[in-house]
Amino acid sequence: MMSLLAAMSAGPDVPPMIAKLSIIVPEIVMFVGTCVVLMLGLSKTSTIRRASVGAAGLALIIAGIAAATGPQGVADSLLPHVMPYAKVLIAAVGFILLLLLTGTVDREVEAEADAGKPFDVLRANRAEFYAFFMFSLTGLMLCASADDLIWLFLALELTSLPTYVMVSISTARSRSQEAGVKYFFLGAFSAAMLLMGFTFIYGATGYTQLFGYHSIASVIGAQGSLGPIATLGFVMAIVGLCFKIAAVPMHFYTPDVYQGAAAGVSAMLAFVPKTAGFLGLMLLTSAVGWGLGGGYGLPSELRLLLWVVAALTMTFGNVLALMQRSVKRILAYSSIAHSGYMLVGIIAGPGAWGAGAPGNGLGAVLFYLMSYGVMNVGAFAVVASLEKQSGGEAEDVDDLRGLCKTHPLLGWIMVISSVTMLGLPFAIGFLGKFYLFTAGLRAGEVALIVVMGLNSAIAAFYYLRLAGAPLLEHRDEHEASLVVTAFNSRKLAGLISAVGVLALLPFADRLATLSDHAASYGASSEAAQASASQAEHVDARSVTDH
Amino acid sequence: MTHLAPQLLAADIGLAAYITVMMLISMAVAFAVANIVLSLIIGPRRTGQVKAMTYESGMEPVGTARKRFNVRFYIIAMTFLLFDVEVIFLYPWAVTYANIDPSSAYQPVFLGRVLFFMLTTVVAYLYGYRKGVFRFD
Repeated sequence: MMSLLAAMSAGPDVPPMIAKLSIIVPEIVMFVGTCVVLMLGLSKTSTIRRASVGAAGLALIIAGIAAATGPQGVADSLLPHVMPYAKVLIAAVGFILLLLLTGTVDREVEAEADAGKPFDVLRANRAEFYAFFMFSLTGLMLCASADDLIWLFLALELTSLPTYVMVSISTARSRSQEAGVKYFFLGAFSAAMLLMGFTFIYGATGYTQLFGYHSIASVIGAQGSLGPIATLGFVMAIVGLCFKIAAVPMHFYTPDVYQGAAAGVSAMLAFVPKTAGFLGLMLLTSAVGWGLGGGYGLPSELRLLLWVVAALTMTFGNVLALMQRSVKRILAYSSIAHSGYMLVGIIAGPGAWGAGAPGNGLGAVLFYLMSYGVMNVGAFAVVASLEKQSGGEAEDVDDLRGLCKTHPLLGWIMVISSVTMLGLPFAIGFLGKFYLFTAGLRAGEVALIVVMGLNSAIAAFYYLRLAGAPLLEHRDEHEASLVVTAFNSRKLAGLISAVGVLALLPFADRLATLSDHAASYGASSEAAQASASQAEHVDARSVTDH
Repeated sequence: MTHLAPQLLAADIGLAAYITVMMLISMAVAFAVANIVLSLIIGPRRTGQVKAMTYESGMEPVGTARKRFNVRFYIIAMTFLLFDVEVIFLYPWAVTYANIDPSSAYQPVFLGRVLFFMLTTVVAYLYGYRKGVFRFD
């Protein structure tokens, strides 16, 4: 089917609708996989129910391969190459997250079924849980393909809506329900804000298409400035997206939701909505061009807004993380702080056209998303793998003491993961920060880089505490020992993450080139030709009309 | 559209264009009035406590509002919504599909899309069936 679609899209006279189908092949694979997971998960046979997770993994692998081998660029886009990179990244991190999510729901129902009781379909949540996970990743991939405000909004909502349910059903604790309700209401609020912003953008420009001959980008480019209504629209849309990336005016939900949800779901929340938000931000900011505000920057109003949001987000995230005792809350605030860092890349923008690898801010954001996606899983995997004997997750920092001695694998995963997130050299997190620093400096955002540097120093306090507790401290004799989860795939997810942050280092240069290429701004040559011929076509038609 | 607007605004069409609408409205009014008049004339007259109550054969209007009722109502409503919304989406599709040139490349794409869309509903139906939504015991 893929080759057929590719052949169809290659022809010159292919209607755009069919060409568009060829770029969403990974999403279609994911969707079909989701339906299969949904059906298998409700089977009467225990083996088939367990196979639903395998089906999800298989769909992720096929979707990743389809994205890697599918069309590498889109015509009429100012970010034509972001799609394959983002989709492969989503499939890869999604696969690790899937390993981490095993055994989150249905343990009681499955235990009863194993004991010989009939399988209780109504109480079982496994099918929904994995299907929602896959739906969310499908939405995330659709965000990468988006070229239209309506498409972008629907994709963002498809990413977010399943996560609300996943938070609520991830554990049986009342805290999860509370987190789910909080997350849902704030999410609905932010979605309304986002949609209102999109409405104003549409009202000001008359288009919902982001790029191309007739689009928001072309109208604003012709105007040379944003104008008050479009500015209002973009401000509201960015604030709405701040919820997805957990940036400051909309960050309040983060710690409560991360703490309330099961650790695997929290790991997912740290990657999936954040990636969706940053893809949305990249598309929106690219549509207003990087040449409007003079130089290669954003329009001055948006630059100021993002500047303040970035500075506040980093500082709030890091300072508040210092006061936490729960590992999950620390990681939640650290997730806020990482969003702040990544916003620096958005502010820096792609730089001068054709700037080399370290100068492209959007490329740095994509690289950082990749490294954050990999290193973040490790820390959450440790929390997900440890349980107290009394039940519940061992999420206090003190619970981690002496972990390198008692459970060496988990202990070292925690050490490596937190040291990487801190950004010490010899791990992938350092390079992510390095590219953001370079891009920011090239764009002349010295003050913001100073704030970022200070924040990295503040972050050292709590990351070193996370690394020091398992490595240097000792566990008291009288304390109840921890139980390691029976789900080995969770440990495997942590192991992949910890090995990944080190093993990716030799390939970091190649990855940086890839992410830089993915973020190359401006229509690609073939896309430029396509839009130029389209423009001629339209011109010719309008001439004959008059 | 611009060449239609003056015609619609012109007075020379008169009210004749609205005759069908008028007929529909008068039929609706006549139906309601006729029903009330007929039931006044030929309806049996019995009164009583239950008969005088609002929603004679429906919910209990007196008592606490915080009454629990079966969760099945929600499930039925949700399932109804699923098929209802699907039908709404089928209408614009059908109108567009009828006007597509059969030889154009859009034709199989449009058909494929709606079949894919129907497939999603079938999946939803199977899911609901397996979960016991349609079991009324």
